Amino acid sequence: MMTRRLPRLSQMLLFLALCAFAAAMLTPVVWSLLTSIKQPIDAFAIPPKWIFTPTLDFHRAVWVDKGFAGFLFNSVVISVCTVCLSVSIGTMAAYGLSRMRGNAARGILIGLLTMRMFPHMLLVIPFFMLAKFLNLIDTYPAMVLALVAINQPFTIWLMHSFFADVPTEIDEAGAIDGANEWQTFYRLVLPIVRPGLWVTALFSLLLAYNEFLFALVLTGPHTKTLPVAIAEYGGEDLNYWSLSAAAAIGIMLPIVAFMMFLQRHLVRGLALGAVK
Amino acid sequence: MAAVQVRGIQKYFGATQVLRGVDIDIGDGEFCVLVGPSGCGKSTLLRMIAGLEEISDGEISIGATVVNDVRPKDRDIALVFQNYALYPHMTVRDNMAFALTLAKQSRQQIEQRVQKAAEILDLAGHLDRYPRQLSGGQRQRVAMGRAIVRNPQVFLFDEPLSNLDAKLRVQMRAEIKELHQRLTTTSIYVTHDQTEAMTMADRIVVMRAGVVEQIGAPLELYDRPVNVFVAGFIGSPAMNLIPGVVRYKNDVKQVGLGPGVWLPLPVGARAEDGQHVLYGVRPEHCAVGESGLPVEIAVVEPTGADTQIYGRMNGHHIVATLRDRTDLKAGAQIFIAPDIARTHLFDEASGARLDT
Repeated sequence: MMTRRLPRLSQMLLFLALCAFAAAMLTPVVWSLLTSIKQPIDAFAIPPKWIFTPTLDFHRAVWVDKGFAGFLFNSVVISVCTVCLSVSIGTMAAYGLSRMRGNAARGILIGLLTMRMFPHMLLVIPFFMLAKFLNLIDTYPAMVLALVAINQPFTIWLMHSFFADVPTEIDEAGAIDGANEWQTFYRLVLPIVRPGLWVTALFSLLLAYNEFLFALVLTGPHTKTLPVAIAEYGGEDLNYWSLSAAAAIGIMLPIVAFMMFLQRHLVRGLALGAVK
Repeated sequence: MAAVQVRGIQKYFGATQVLRGVDIDIGDGEFCVLVGPSGCGKSTLLRMIAGLEEISDGEISIGATVVNDVRPKDRDIALVFQNYALYPHMTVRDNMAFALTLAKQSRQQIEQRVQKAAEILDLAGHLDRYPRQLSGGQRQRVAMGRAIVRNPQVFLFDEPLSNLDAKLRVQMRAEIKELHQRLTTTSIYVTHDQTEAMTMADRIVVMRAGVVEQIGAPLELYDRPVNVFVAGFIGSPAMNLIPGVVRYKNDVKQVGLGPGVWLPLPVGARAEDGQHVLYGVRPEHCAVGESGLPVEIAVVEPTGADTQIYGRMNGHHIVATLRDRTDLKAGAQIFIAPDIARTHLFDEASGARLDT
């Protein structure tokens, strides 16, 4: 296969455009980081002050005094449990759908897509009533089960696209070699789509970690997550913006760590056509 | 090793019938080739023997066992796929050992069998590589190695050489044939290439549109095709099939192939006066002579070993293969003299061979 090379000028322009895009994406993050280590008088100085005495007081205040470490723990527990459940169930469902003959699979996938497009606002009250009936308000299972339910269509759709790229001859070769259905799935096909598995896990993690509406309704003092905690944060505090910036930087850290740790797999998964 | 019997096999995909009552007997240790154009049902039949497709009607037996409801892993067969179907995340060693691992054989025994198969297939130095690190021919050998280690009753090959270049195809053809002679395992080989069929098979099954047209040894199909389809499919270049009519000429039945062009009936042929026929003569059974079919040469193709002559007679395309080099040029008018002892006659309406 021939690789087309862009002319040198086009390569330069493309590089500059990508730099500008990266700068636009990173500017709010960098600004938040600087705001979180500046005193308010420095943070809101016009023109902006680039030389200042940094402080970690606001980070300490957020994580120690305001108890954000506990909210982070809740967010991580709920997100990780959601990802583990959602990806395991979704992966097996996606595999089954990808191997289904006829139009039934297509009908199921379209049905799942319809569910995905359903406004979450309309689902909040039924979920609340169900959790209250089961006495699960302010518990981890309530949030996890709700997030698994609303994110499952996305997981299935994403994994289905990966499984669809694996030739069915792999399954047939496994069947002839003596593998049963579980062995074919777990030992032959799943390892091939492992990069896609990581990508799906990341997107599920982001959806669960950033979820606000369901967390607002289903969590309480024991299970409050970071998005809810930040939203409840008092705006009357003179140091509000500095404290908020410190909280925002802290919230990002687990996700950034996850992506850095799995960067190789994520890039490979995305290159395989993860996002369709 | 085991014989394979196919009895009255029919297959429907929805309302579409792709196999219309196929009966084949494959002997123990035989190398049987299923050949035919795309869509004739040969791969579907192979997959039904493997257990990868359900049987709509009929029966398949491997050895003494009817296997209609037997799962693929319990049929004691091995299949070599067209696109190899190697497990990309496993090394060559693991690919070949996988079936034995699932069968819970001892590590020593697995290693022994993998090594033996690797030596047969010249893969001993590649066992720790991954499929992506191998060439097409090496991958095909790994696919065969994966089949060999299982020591099955029947080998099934589904167009295994289709994805290889021409030179490698010739080499692998010989290797597969040599392997069969060494292992003597019953083998069923699917291909659309009649050259592969002719060179590899003990017996050939020619299929078209879900039906078996003829079964026989390669030379039997070559020398005595039962109908026009088999006559045109076997042999390359294809047999010349010239329309004509049988008439009495000087009290002897002859075949009129055009104004002033008459040829005697082929040896052993039987036809009625006035019957419309197709006169068959293979390009390699033609020679340039003083009389015969008047042909205007359109193209001369010297291949080195022989010379292909493409021409026209009364609007019909004629191909002749001359074993010698020639000075003939396009535009020349020549006479093509067929070897009457090796010509064929078919009924034009039905396509059936007209024979005693």
